[in-house]
This record gives sequence, C-alpha cells and structure tokens, in this order.
Amino acid sequence: MKQILLITDGCSNVGESPVLAAAHARQEGITVNVVGVVDYGTIGELGSREIADIAKAGGGISRIVGTPQLAQTIQMMTRKTVVQTIQQAVNKEVQKILGDGSLAELPPQQRSQVVTVVDELTETSPLRIALLIDASASMKPKLGAVEDAIRDLALSLEAREGRSEIAVFHFPGRSGSEDAMLDIDWTRNVSEVRSLFSRLKMRGATPTGPAIFKVLEHYRYDKLEEHRNYLPGEDDGAREGMIDGYVV
Amino acid sequence: MGMSSNPSYPAGTVITGKWRGNRYVVERVLGKGANGTVYLVQREGRRERYALKIGYDTLELQSEINVLTSLQSCRKRSEHRARKESPLSSYLLESDDFKDRDHTPFYVMRYVEGRPLHHFLSRNGASWLGLVGMTILEKLQTLHECGFVFGDLKPENVMVSSYGEAELIDYGGASPIGRSVKQFTEWHDRGFWNAGSRTGDQSYDLFAFAVLCLRLLNEQGLKSAAQQLPQTRSVEELMKLARELPDKKLSSWLCLALKGGFPGSAQAAEIWRSHIYRGRKTGHETMATPRWLKNAFALSLFLLAFTLYWVFRF
Repeated sequence: MKQILLITDGCSNVGESPVLAAAHARQEGITVNVVGVVDYGTIGELGSREIADIAKAGGGISRIVGTPQLAQTIQMMTRKTVVQTIQQAVNKEVQKILGDGSLAELPPQQRSQVVTVVDELTETSPLRIALLIDASASMKPKLGAVEDAIRDLALSLEAREGRSEIAVFHFPGRSGSEDAMLDIDWTRNVSEVRSLFSRLKMRGATPTGPAIFKVLEHYRYDKLEEHRNYLPGEDDGAREGMIDGYVV
Repeated sequence: MGMSSNPSYPAGTVITGKWRGNRYVVERVLGKGANGTVYLVQREGRRERYALKIGYDTLELQSEINVLTSLQSCRKRSEHRARKESPLSSYLLESDDFKDRDHTPFYVMRYVEGRPLHHFLSRNGASWLGLVGMTILEKLQTLHECGFVFGDLKPENVMVSSYGEAELIDYGGASPIGRSVKQFTEWHDRGFWNAGSRTGDQSYDLFAFAVLCLRLLNEQGLKSAAQQLPQTRSVEELMKLARELPDKKLSSWLCLALKGGFPGSAQAAEIWRSHIYRGRKTGHETMATPRWLKNAFALSLFLLAFTLYWVFRF
C-alpha cells in the first residue's frame, strides 16, 4: 500500500495543478491524504477547497486542524485510509462472489469472517507513506508540531506487524528548479525522525502540484531500486504475494 | 458502507434485529464511544435492561464484535474448566443489524449500572482506589489470559457500581497481543511518554493503568507534565509524580508499572492485592483530635457537672 500525506496551510501558487498531480497518484495506486494546518485565522475558502479537491482526486481524506490536534489527526487518517484501501480490495472480491453483497448486507457470520481478513491485512500488509511538508514561510511556526506528529506516526507504524516505511519531503526545495527536497528516504526507524527542519530556509512559493509529481517520481524510481536490491520472494515480495493470494 | 450520520434515537424507539428478530426499546443514551453510541434498552416483553451499542461504521463495529466473541468463547472455556456458571459476566449477549435503518449494526451487552471511575472516586473518596484498582487489574488479567490487550484504558472507560465493582466498557480499542494498539488516549499512551512501543502487550495496559491512577490522584501534576515538549517528555516525569504520593507502597507499584517492570498482569495484580489492597493503613492514619474539640468537650463536661450540681442542690 502506498500513500502520500500532504501537510500544508494554504493554496498552491506555482506550476501544475495539485489536483491533477493527485489524480495521477491515484492512477498509480497511491492514495493522497491532505491535512490543512491552521493556528491563527483561517485557511481561506480557496485554500480549503483546494485541500478537499486534492484529497478527492487522490482517493484519500482531508482534514483542517490546529497544531494541537495534528498528531492525532494524521494517525487517524493514515489508519482509516489503510483500512479503506484494504476494504475496497476485499469488497471487490466479496462482490465477485456474492453479486451485490456489500459488507453491511452480509449475514453476521460471513461478515465477521470478512472483517477478520480485513483486520489481518490492515495489520500485516506492507505500507509506505511519503510525507510531503509545505515549508513556505507561513508554515515556519508550525514545523515543530509537524515534526512531532511525524515522529508520533512513525511510532505507530513501527508497532505494525507488516513492513512499514516513511519518507519525508519538503517543498519548495533549495533552488528554484527543485520542486521538493527529500529529507529522509524510506526508513522504518523512528529515531531518524529528529531535527528534520531545523536548518530549513523558508521560501515564499508553494509549488504543491510539482512537489506531488516529484514524490511520484521517487516512488517510481524506488521501484527500480527495489528490483535491484531485493531478491525475489524476500519479505516484501512474499507479503505482497500473500495479499494477492488472500484477496483472490 | 453503512456510515450513518450517527443520529440519536429518542426514547421509545424500537430496535429490531434483522437476523435474529429480537426487539429492544430505547430508554436513553448512555454514552458515545469512538465506534458508536451506547443506549440503555429493555428487551421487549422482559424486565431486564441491557446496554446496546449501535455502530457508525459496519467494519469498525464488526471488528469490535469479533473481539468480544473471542473473549466470550475464551471465558466460556475457562469457566467450563472451573465448572462454574456466571451468566452475569458476559461480554456479549448478541449482535444483529437494525432492520429498519440502513441495516446499521448493533450488539447487546450487560448493562453496568454505575458511574465512570473518576466521578466515582471524586464522590466517594480516593480510599476506594485500592479496591477498585484491584477489580480493574483482575479484569485486565482475564483479558490478557485470553490473548488480548484493552488498549484505551482510561477512567472514562471504567464503570464502577456503587459498591466499587469495576467493569471495563468500550472494547473498541482492544486488540490481540502482539498487534499494534488500535485506539489510545495521549496521556495514557506509552508512546506519548517516550516509554516504549505501541505494540499491544501486557505492560502497555499496566502502563495505562498506572497513568490512570496518577490522573485520579494528581490530575494537575499529570497535566503539567504532559504539556512539556515531546522531546523532553519522559517516563521519569511520571515516576516523579508517583514518588510524590503519600502512600509509598502505591508509589513503588506505580513506578514498576511505568518502567514496564512487571512480568505480566498476573504478578502486577498479585502485588497490588497483597500490598495496596490488603496493606492499607489502619489506625495510625486517624486524624489527631483538634484542640478546639478537646476544649469544647471539657467545657461541656464542666457544664454537665455544673448543671447536675445545680439540679440536685434544689
């Protein structure tokens, strides 16, 4: 399972549309969730509409919260999206077998079995989450809270039985040509999430769309790497295979 | 997916099961959990009252029902072994779907009459903690023996009868041992205090229980410790609070639980039973009689003597 979690506080203003980028992500099997962080004032109608639209296009969830609720919200969204993704896959199979049988219409005994499978997969299937952090000037006072929330998420992921990894990007990058910069590459280690953004120079532009595209590239690039690095059938591959086995 | 807009059903609503056909009449709302609303209901044509939980989300509620079903069968097995019947101690009576409203799923459980732990203690006094804590630890022990952790242990999820019998409510956060904890509350969460993982094990519940005790005895202290920066937040802060408690035996029990020092809940319950529950202070803790009371007593004696003298003289 692959997810992108975008944390922002306003509207994009440079480059391709982030809604288009999110639609691309969804096409490639990556769910996009969006959190809008507001502490003072509001995010504006335009900003909140964009946040909702990105999530919708990316097949994910969006929320607008203050920094105190950030950690909990991210936690909840991630879990919910994982369950949703698995449920969708399982539902498809259920419908194949039972025609129009949505989960709610199944008899209790069968429903209980389906849910056991969903719970099992929620816990054990491999999961990758790319966090994409808006580091435009207005986000600066919130980055401490963002970092805590990331650490908290990493802690929860570490508790899963399945292989769980996060990567962290921020945008815009160092130079005008760099849309997003990789801060932490795929890791399972919570302790790596430390003083992420301390040396960050804030810049004005918010190229949300190009940044999402950059993350998609990273996902793609990584697939190549994966083939090179892992022997077939090892860990990830085996588990991925197990899901297919389960679902089909 | 059966996501209803969580409406509150008014008193008198009849909830009919789609599969088993039982009918329950709503009396009032008992509370709202993460996965659904709990109502006090009466089974039509019977006198007993039950608690009925209606879910917002089919999947989440079914997952909870699955946990309760395994707990139920685990308990039945152990009761069978012990050759005893305790019909009162059941986790789950039945589960079904609300026939008339979008097939919203629900399940029925025993109704525990009482009040949430924190309200109970503030009304009855902290001296009840030894007894109530004992019963909570026993419940946790049973749960752990069945291979589950409770997860979201906090005062709000503990119902206490007027005589101190505690019952865990809301098993929405319960998960098999070794799995990640599904639901938790910041203050009670081991991960929040940088004190360990969020993998469900016996120590996770014991940690949450220790924080629960601290919260009941010194909520202000806990609050200010929780407001520290996440990097500096540590289990040391909690242990400092524990050491400040007047009851030293309780302090050391809490410190051990916070450090994850108990091998399991059986041992933790045993030590609580022998040192905190039975080892409560007697006699020497009684309050010294204030001087004004002594003086008043002397004065009243004098008045009595004087009155007697005065009465008998005439």
